[in-house]
Amino acid sequence: MTTLDTSAKPFSLTKFVPGDFKSDLKPIWCPGCGDFGVVTAITRALANIARPPHEIAFVSGIGCSSRIPGYTTAYGFNTVHGRSLPIAQGIKLANPELLVLVASGDGDGFSIGGGHVAHAVRRNIDITYIVMDNQIYGLTKGQLSPTSSRGRKTVTSSFGSLEDPVNPLLYVMGYGASFVAQGTPADMNGLAKIIEEGIRFPGFAFINVQSPCVTYGMEDQQLKAHKTNMKSLEAMGHDASDRAKATELARAYGTELYTGVLYRNPNPPTTYGQGVTERQEAFKKSAVPRHEILNRFKPTN
Amino acid sequence: MSEDLIIGIAGSGGDGVISAGESLLTAAALEGYHCVMTKSFGSQIRGGEASCRLRLATQPVLNPNGPLDVAVALNWDDFKRFGAELPVEAATIVIYESNTGVAADKLPLPGVKPAVVFSVPITAMAAEHAGTDKAKNIVIAGLIAGWFGIGRESVVAGIRKKFAKKGAEVVEGNVRAFQAGLDFATANPLPQDRKLSTPQSGGQAKLLTDGNDMCAAAAIFAGCTFFGGYPITPSTEIMQFLDREIWKYGGTVLQAEDEIAGIGAVVGASFAGKKAMTATSGPGMSLKTEILGLASLAELPLVCVNVQRGGPSTGMPTKAEQSDLFQAAFSAHGDCLRPVLAPTCVADIFEVTVEAFNLAEYYQTPVIVLSDQEIAQRKETVDPIDTSKFQIIERRHPSGPELTNYARFKLTESGISPISHPGMVGGNYLCAGIEHNEQGRPTASGEMHARMNEKRFNKFNPLKNRRDLFTVEGDSDAPIGMVSWGSVAGVAREALRLAQAEGLQVKLLVPRLLYPVAETVYQDFFASVQRGLFIEQSYQAQLYRIVRMNVDLPTQVKAFAKSGSNPILPSEVLKRLREMVVSIQGNQQHQPEAVQD
Repeated sequence: MTTLDTSAKPFSLTKFVPGDFKSDLKPIWCPGCGDFGVVTAITRALANIARPPHEIAFVSGIGCSSRIPGYTTAYGFNTVHGRSLPIAQGIKLANPELLVLVASGDGDGFSIGGGHVAHAVRRNIDITYIVMDNQIYGLTKGQLSPTSSRGRKTVTSSFGSLEDPVNPLLYVMGYGASFVAQGTPADMNGLAKIIEEGIRFPGFAFINVQSPCVTYGMEDQQLKAHKTNMKSLEAMGHDASDRAKATELARAYGTELYTGVLYRNPNPPTTYGQGVTERQEAFKKSAVPRHEILNRFKPTN
Repeated sequence: MSEDLIIGIAGSGGDGVISAGESLLTAAALEGYHCVMTKSFGSQIRGGEASCRLRLATQPVLNPNGPLDVAVALNWDDFKRFGAELPVEAATIVIYESNTGVAADKLPLPGVKPAVVFSVPITAMAAEHAGTDKAKNIVIAGLIAGWFGIGRESVVAGIRKKFAKKGAEVVEGNVRAFQAGLDFATANPLPQDRKLSTPQSGGQAKLLTDGNDMCAAAAIFAGCTFFGGYPITPSTEIMQFLDREIWKYGGTVLQAEDEIAGIGAVVGASFAGKKAMTATSGPGMSLKTEILGLASLAELPLVCVNVQRGGPSTGMPTKAEQSDLFQAAFSAHGDCLRPVLAPTCVADIFEVTVEAFNLAEYYQTPVIVLSDQEIAQRKETVDPIDTSKFQIIERRHPSGPELTNYARFKLTESGISPISHPGMVGGNYLCAGIEHNEQGRPTASGEMHARMNEKRFNKFNPLKNRRDLFTVEGDSDAPIGMVSWGSVAGVAREALRLAQAEGLQVKLLVPRLLYPVAETVYQDFFASVQRGLFIEQSYQAQLYRIVRMNVDLPTQVKAFAKSGSNPILPSEVLKRLREMVVSIQGNQQHQPEAVQD
């Protein structure tokens, strides 16, 4: 299997440690929040990738998870609710040299911003989409989320949820993503590894992180439960190039906690960015100077 | 001889109505005439009724004006569907297709009896000379060329070029069809000579384009390298033009999945350091407002073009209206100010779009350009634009020392803080929609919020003194003052010309900066005014109301406003100006009695 690496500069001489990517801003999260582990895993992955912080753009929407960019030393952009993906795509297209990360949550990413996911996947712009999925709206204090299970009682579903949850893994597989993985801060090494792999993957990479909400989450969704329940795909001998098998495993979202790379396209398709660069190169020579652009409006019969 | 000729042509979709208009338009433009051409269609995707209005003049004209000098009907049902868009009067020369079977003295035009009517076998002439009834447009061009003396050589040259690939036989057939039109006109002369005089500019090379293409070209000129948007009538041609051109300049067009994603990508590109633009119309504008607010708080430059159409909601997608000014000025929640500019004609869109990029980059703000369907989609001759007179402004980046302990939102005297972008060493910061301190860190401090609000408002103070974004035409101390903006300013300009020709003392203020309201400009303009009139294409007269919010206007300043798609004619404006003169005279005789307008 080939692993193309477009994100890391080939001969980076500078050594980085995770601390180089951690800002001194104090997180607003509750003590014990899963997101602390996610920021640690991300900074570990970034230290291995060894791109300096100023070459990284870290975009997010709104929610507990979306605070993450501020806790790193990268150029952060904490945008509006649900729109991190389009904004991140604009950044990557405007400057393909940047390493672009997106952080989101289950509500930000699969409810208000759910419409953008399919398009980010099919467009295949080289960004890494990390969703911290805790099955609850934590920032607004405990409302139903799109990944909350049917029957779940919350302050906005006092008598139990009447709807089925979204399956983020299956959706993204169905949209045709080339890199799909899942992790939990209960397995820090594994989480840092899949984030690094996602960043190194040449194209759109999706990483669902089961990141527990200690305040409003259910007991069986906490890190302690993860440690008991999680099943390593690698240990299971899962072949990550097997799309059909990956799709089958994705169906178990909500009942099984698989960790590791679910699917990695062995032949990564051309990214949108590559297409853009080729087109720009091909068309460059036919450009008239900008100040002569109006000449095209001279009438001819 | 004529100085100004208005031709209306209508038929069904396949009749070649538009191509007849376009070949005459190109021919007239090449001969140095000032031309404006508007098109109008039924709502069908294909087929249905189609019409165009063509105004050719020896002097500059900036609106399509009212009653037709010449009406061409390929069938009467389609012609009549355009109603007030193609008004026929007794003086109108009517040319219609004989095979409609309508007698020349029984035209289906209730209440109107045109004096000069020609029944012409247009379809039969096309079939006879070109071998196909598709050449109807060529016959029409021949008739018009014959009777009004335009475009003989250039239409034929155009035919030779257009049909060259189809072989000599097709070329010659179309040339014969054109000649047949000319011959018919020669054999059936008009009662008086209506041939157009030679244009004053004497064949000076002009540009010919529409507002949307001009807007897109201006964006390229201004250095725009990113466009994100979603197709919506009547703005889509901006994205289409850029999709053909922007790649050559290292840029990208992203057709996003929706309007929100379109402006989202634009905000992203701007954050990444690029000049970026989106374009839309009313419904899209409604969707984009949250991200406009983000760009305002995060102080990111971008240009958002709203090609206005009739609203609210889906409204009238193919008709112009000036009803989105409130939305542009007050879009998005929170205390905020976003500059709003409006072009008045196709040429003006170039200047206004370049200015919009300059303001966006200089003030680090979204800037809204309020175009409208009329100027966006009408084709117009434009005198050559000297691009060397334009200054292109780039956003102010932090210098080396400023990058030590860099504070992205530093509270400077001007309110403008140097802006970094990803890739810039030492410029790292947290950009956010959440209120921030000078370093960009989130804050809930009321004091910091107040200071940042003050910064974000005060930075625009110099903008209100930009007198070059306003024109005052006519007698500067006139007692009657008109204010008009956007495409309707072209109507007001013609009304001013007509009023001055009658000896009326009138002046006209045309703002291209609509918001923030430049109080002193209006105060100065109205200082001499006893009667004033805002002329606008909207039910509410939105500029009139916004100016009143900000400026104490004399009580005798009123609005003349019509909902979109109801043409405002120079003659109607002139009538009101005359009434205002009478009103002032009456007031002088019967003082101190109040005068009702």
